[in-house]
Amino acid sequence: MQEDYINITLADDDEDDRLFFTDAFDDIKITTRVKTFNDGVYLMDYLNSDDALLPNVLFLDLNMPRKSGLECLKEIKQNPKFKDIAIAIYSTSASEEDIENTFIQGANIYIKKPSDFKTLKKVLAEVVTINWQYHTNSMNKDNFLLRF
Amino acid sequence: MIKTLSNNISFLRTMLYISALVILVVGALTYRSITEVTKSSEMITHTYKVNVELEQVLSYLKDAETGQRGYIITNDSIFLEPYISGRSKINNSFAELKVLAKDNTTLTNSLKDLNLLINKRLLAFQTSYRSLPKNDIDDPAFIQNFKNGRVLMDSIRDQIKGAIAIQNNLLNQRNNEYKSDLMATPLLLFSLLLCSLLLMYAAYNSIYKNIKQLKATNEELEIFKESTNQSEIVSKHGSWTWNVKTNTFTYSDNLYRLLGEQPQSFKPTIENFLTYVHPEDVEQLSKQVEQMKENVELPYIYYRVVHKNGNVKHLKAYGKSLVNDEDETVLLGTTADITDEIISFKVLEERNAELERNNKELSSFNYVASHDLQEPLRKIQTFLSRLEDEEVDKLSPKGIRYIDRIKNAATRMRLLIDDLLQFSRSNKADKVFEDSNINLIFEAAKQDLAEVISAENAIITSDAFPSMKVIPFQIQQLFVNLLGNAIKYKAEGVIPKIEITHQVVEADKEDGITKPKNQFYHKLVFTDNGIGFDNTYAEQIFTLFNRLHNKDEYSGTGIGLSICKKIVENHKGYITAKGEPNKGATFTVFLPID
Repeated sequence: MQEDYINITLADDDEDDRLFFTDAFDDIKITTRVKTFNDGVYLMDYLNSDDALLPNVLFLDLNMPRKSGLECLKEIKQNPKFKDIAIAIYSTSASEEDIENTFIQGANIYIKKPSDFKTLKKVLAEVVTINWQYHTNSMNKDNFLLRF
Repeated sequence: MIKTLSNNISFLRTMLYISALVILVVGALTYRSITEVTKSSEMITHTYKVNVELEQVLSYLKDAETGQRGYIITNDSIFLEPYISGRSKINNSFAELKVLAKDNTTLTNSLKDLNLLINKRLLAFQTSYRSLPKNDIDDPAFIQNFKNGRVLMDSIRDQIKGAIAIQNNLLNQRNNEYKSDLMATPLLLFSLLLCSLLLMYAAYNSIYKNIKQLKATNEELEIFKESTNQSEIVSKHGSWTWNVKTNTFTYSDNLYRLLGEQPQSFKPTIENFLTYVHPEDVEQLSKQVEQMKENVELPYIYYRVVHKNGNVKHLKAYGKSLVNDEDETVLLGTTADITDEIISFKVLEERNAELERNNKELSSFNYVASHDLQEPLRKIQTFLSRLEDEEVDKLSPKGIRYIDRIKNAATRMRLLIDDLLQFSRSNKADKVFEDSNINLIFEAAKQDLAEVISAENAIITSDAFPSMKVIPFQIQQLFVNLLGNAIKYKAEGVIPKIEITHQVVEADKEDGITKPKNQFYHKLVFTDNGIGFDNTYAEQIFTLFNRLHNKDEYSGTGIGLSICKKIVENHKGYITAKGEPNKGATFTVFLPID
């Protein structure tokens, strides 16, 4: 049964953003199971728990209290248990610095949060259907930032 | 200067030697000529004496002869008296003559002959008057005798005359010699004296000149000393010498002042000096002083001194070691009070740090502000889009219009935030200059604008650019902004045409380059056929948030050209604008060539 769902997880401290996120997936015609966490600490606690359902794609906001997205990214990449999780950075800004840092730490794609709901749905649909195996192999700094 | 003086001194020494020699020669000559004169006069006296004695002898003989004649005539024996006494008198004279003629063999011989003759004559007297018979003067024997006597007398006369002639000859000869001596000596002496006088004059001249020169040099030295004093005071310098061998020091007046003391108020020694040095610096300075003795070129030494009133001053010393004429090592040093420099340096450093901090704060404030502003704005826009998509049916036409207005305002706000972000990014300190292919950067800029370019059918032509040393992403931004502007402010109903030319120019031949740091610049000219602008705004358009058009007509934020100016300034270049309303605008960028 598990195969039918794409497991999506989002860590974002902003309530509105979490709402947009879940609403967007509700509208998308793809069977997904979306889980959201309010910050990095909740996320990591869940992932590290024994009965955790590891997501196929993890969306990480960068600017979060207690534990930032970058810290989560580092922890996840250090643990081989999480090696199959595709990580999408999901942030308001797209500063050179943030893009550079997350790319180096091994994130798979960088999404600048769109300011239009239609675009958001389009982007999320695109991201969750990416063939990560293929994408990761051909990934470089130029296509790391998703353009829409 | 020193060389001419030493030359002069050796000249003077030679003069002195020559003068002394001349005086010695003059003395010797004078002495010789005086001895000559004395000798000559002695000779003359001697000759006269001999002559007198000879005459005397003759006269005695004549007396004797006369006496004899008288006796013969009168037969009175009283007439015989001159004869009797004549003998002894003649003997006395002869003894005298013998002494006088001691060195003269001719005279001695002649005297001997004379003596014999005299003896014969006297014998003839005796014989004549003895053989005289009583008053018989006619006796033939007596007459014979008498005649013999006369002959002898003549011979004696001749002999004496001869001797006197010898003496006179001698005298003449000596006189001549004496005369020529007397003639020559004064001439020689005079010329020698003249020569000596000339030498003295030359020496005097030379001394006079030297003294004059020395005086002038002394005056110069005095002036130099005074000006050195003045400049030491003004520049807060002091100087010192240290004779390492004798361990003696001299301190200039101002060195004392640097220590807060009156000039020459204490004995210049290391120990005395160290009492002024800041306690924390004493050890290091002492060590460096020790090193000074051994090194020829000495490093700068920095230390602090404490004045008696508690003021702390920073000093900097430099020394150079020399070897003097006595083969002693002498250190010449200069010490400067650098307290002001250090204070102003510290102030500057603090101010710099503060500025840097401010700058950082400002740019992070800029960044954070515009970044954080994006979040609520994005949400507003997202909600608006959902409202439009999902709830549009429930809204009245008015409501839909309001939503439209809100959307416009939000879009404009986004534009402002994006530009502000870009502006703050162009301010960032880490600017890495790279040799860049400007043609590629230009292509990338066109790529960024691909959408508008194709939407407006804009025609962009450009020269080929040489490579330049620039911050690539900033130059790309510059191109994007300038090209974007040209398209944005296109003239109504006209296809925008933009031409970019490149030239290498000399700085002083371009008005746009006001304070050139380099000789050559790249000149990039962007010419468009857009709406242009009134040239009175040519300067104004580069200032932040300055706009020439109404917001409704054109969507500018007034930041784009400020970013351009900032970027060009980051490259130490210049940007100027020239416009003609409804004809077009020209933007000129100058970038320096190293």
